[in-house]
Amino acid sequence: MKKLLALLLSILMLVSVGISLAEESNNDMIIIYAKLPADWSFPCVWSWASDGTNAFAAWPGDMMEPDAKNEDWYYIYVPSAMESVIINANDASVQTDEIKIDQQNAWIEVAEDRTASVSFEQATPGNLPAYAERFTVYAQVDESWENPCIWAWADPAGTNAFAAWPGRAMKANENGWYSAMVPVWCNSIIINAKDGTVQTADIKELDPANLWVTVAADASYDVTYDDPTAPKAEDITVYAKIPEDWENPCLWAWSHPDGTNAFASWPGEALTEGEDGWYEIKVGGWINSVIINANDGSVQTSDLRVDAGKDLYVTVVSAEEATVAYEK
Amino acid sequence: MKKTVSIILLLVLLLSLTGCSSQQETKTAGPVTITIWHDKEEPVIAVLEEAVKELEPDVHVVFEKKSGMTESLKLVGNDKNAAPDLYIFAHDKIGVYAEMGILTPITEFVDSSLLDRYVPLTVKGATYKGTVYQLPLYFETLLFMYNKKYMAESDIPGTTEDLYSYMERKTRYGHYGFVEQHSTPYYAAGWIHGFGGSLITEDGQPLLNSEEVTAALAYHKKFVDLMPGETEYATVNTLFTEGMAHATIAGPWFVPTVRNAGIDVEIAPMPIVNETGLPLAPYSGIQGVHILKVHAEEKKAAISKVLEILMNPDVSVALAKVSGCAPAMESCYEREDVQADSLIMAMRSTAETAVPMPNIPEMDVMWSVAGTLLTDVNVSGYDVLEAAESAQQKALDLIEAMK
Repeated sequence: MKKLLALLLSILMLVSVGISLAEESNNDMIIIYAKLPADWSFPCVWSWASDGTNAFAAWPGDMMEPDAKNEDWYYIYVPSAMESVIINANDASVQTDEIKIDQQNAWIEVAEDRTASVSFEQATPGNLPAYAERFTVYAQVDESWENPCIWAWADPAGTNAFAAWPGRAMKANENGWYSAMVPVWCNSIIINAKDGTVQTADIKELDPANLWVTVAADASYDVTYDDPTAPKAEDITVYAKIPEDWENPCLWAWSHPDGTNAFASWPGEALTEGEDGWYEIKVGGWINSVIINANDGSVQTSDLRVDAGKDLYVTVVSAEEATVAYEK
Repeated sequence: MKKTVSIILLLVLLLSLTGCSSQQETKTAGPVTITIWHDKEEPVIAVLEEAVKELEPDVHVVFEKKSGMTESLKLVGNDKNAAPDLYIFAHDKIGVYAEMGILTPITEFVDSSLLDRYVPLTVKGATYKGTVYQLPLYFETLLFMYNKKYMAESDIPGTTEDLYSYMERKTRYGHYGFVEQHSTPYYAAGWIHGFGGSLITEDGQPLLNSEEVTAALAYHKKFVDLMPGETEYATVNTLFTEGMAHATIAGPWFVPTVRNAGIDVEIAPMPIVNETGLPLAPYSGIQGVHILKVHAEEKKAAISKVLEILMNPDVSVALAKVSGCAPAMESCYEREDVQADSLIMAMRSTAETAVPMPNIPEMDVMWSVAGTLLTDVNVSGYDVLEAAESAQQKALDLIEAMK
């Protein structure tokens, strides 16, 4: 009898440890489930607290995940301090009114007329999905690649993010890019289309950070963590006046803080002598740091921080003294 | 008449002596003011002020924050009217001031056996030509930091070759596996020490063209090729805080900034250089109290009392915590609150192999010459041996000119 009791106690303890661990991992998050009208696609959640804190950086919020185990239900985790949500879809062209969730797990059903009912009792059978942070993969695919999807997994463990090939459908955005969110434990993806009949090779060794993939018709691809859709600056002209004993002035320029250099190696590119004693050179308008140097790079100014995208007039008095102006 | 004049003169002399004597008594019997120059942040000074409060009213300690302190000390360090009694600063200027003759050895105030209580690295840094000129308070070393979101525990590089293969795998698409200020001597020195080399000997001979230094530069270059071209302080730090770099080598002062940026940062031991079996061994800066000779004798008792307070391990721990550095006293590391601080313990561990920044005057020259050498090799792509020969000659010329 004692043994049986001990065994029962052990099982109880193991169960309780299991529960506490599961609770621990989701401790600071609550889950929002939603069942939506059939014509609501790629639903998103916007969520906030009464003190003005928002869960997400910008409207319409983050995309919800379809729950593979509960058809018609979508879910998303938000910080446990959140008190209200708005569910929206179809590029935010449809949305609910404010729905109070009061910092609790919530199951929301949205009717065709966009009215919502909320329950704080679990309305989906089975365990809640595990919480995982996510990052966004953006893809720009060739026109022939219809209905692109993303397949994602952890390599070499082989754990897949989505239930079945071809994976998660990517949402078409207004700027011509598609997007989908992937759990941070994934480090490998494939972009595919046409029901998985065309695909890229495995794209591996990825960081759990937003990334942009450009896919050509032949499935070749480029990847970058730098948002290629961000506005790019036009070329600018750097003008410089230098001391008399400075010969063959060069420009060394780069982008702070990422450290991207405008030129391959020091001392950079030579300036050409222009009018009124000003030397000049054109350079990408994205640079925001320059050094004027001369005499084969043996004399130079200190690092000069400048506004990106503006022509510069640098007057060098000495290695220690230089001024920057944006007009002659 | 002569007698009258003599009597008057005698009286004047007696009066003036009496005046001097009473002034002298005031100094010894009354409250003594100890002035300490420093360049520290307010929280550090708050700890010190609290600690020396107990000396009031006999000893009144005044902390004066001084911008351009190192230059001011050169100018007025032996001026009785302008110099402070003590100053708090890093150890690396000790050689300059000792050669100027403005410092008093700490051992004239503190029994030398008490220095055994300090982390050996700190006493080594405080010593110039066999004499200890600084009472260490706390120290810092550079640390290997990584972003836990990107670098798994199994990926933490044990060796430099592990680090290199990680960089090869992870430096892509605009992210970097590892970044550092590769062309700044303070940071690059860790690699040189990892090859058993040094920028300069203890007696001031530059070593820029030595086998160890050139081997380190040549080996280090392949790591540099996987980093951004521009690696000034702000660039490297921002790459790490913006999640564009997986790992970096930086000082403990950087950790609060990193944590504020939401980065889940962790510290790991410095990788070991495969070729030598030695870890990357960064420079260390030791902050401490220095005694100026100018008032040392006159205020000996009061200065001794101040130093005694500053040798209290509680003060050492409190200073370390507010400065983000590590305590100089060995006994502090037995305390539970210190052992629970992974950052402090990482610095204590790195102190086993770290190298105190050279405190000899010749080092002033080496920073700029070594910086040019690193830029020549890492940025301009000059031949290592040629660049090293040229830098060595430049260093010799500048040191000669300095003499």
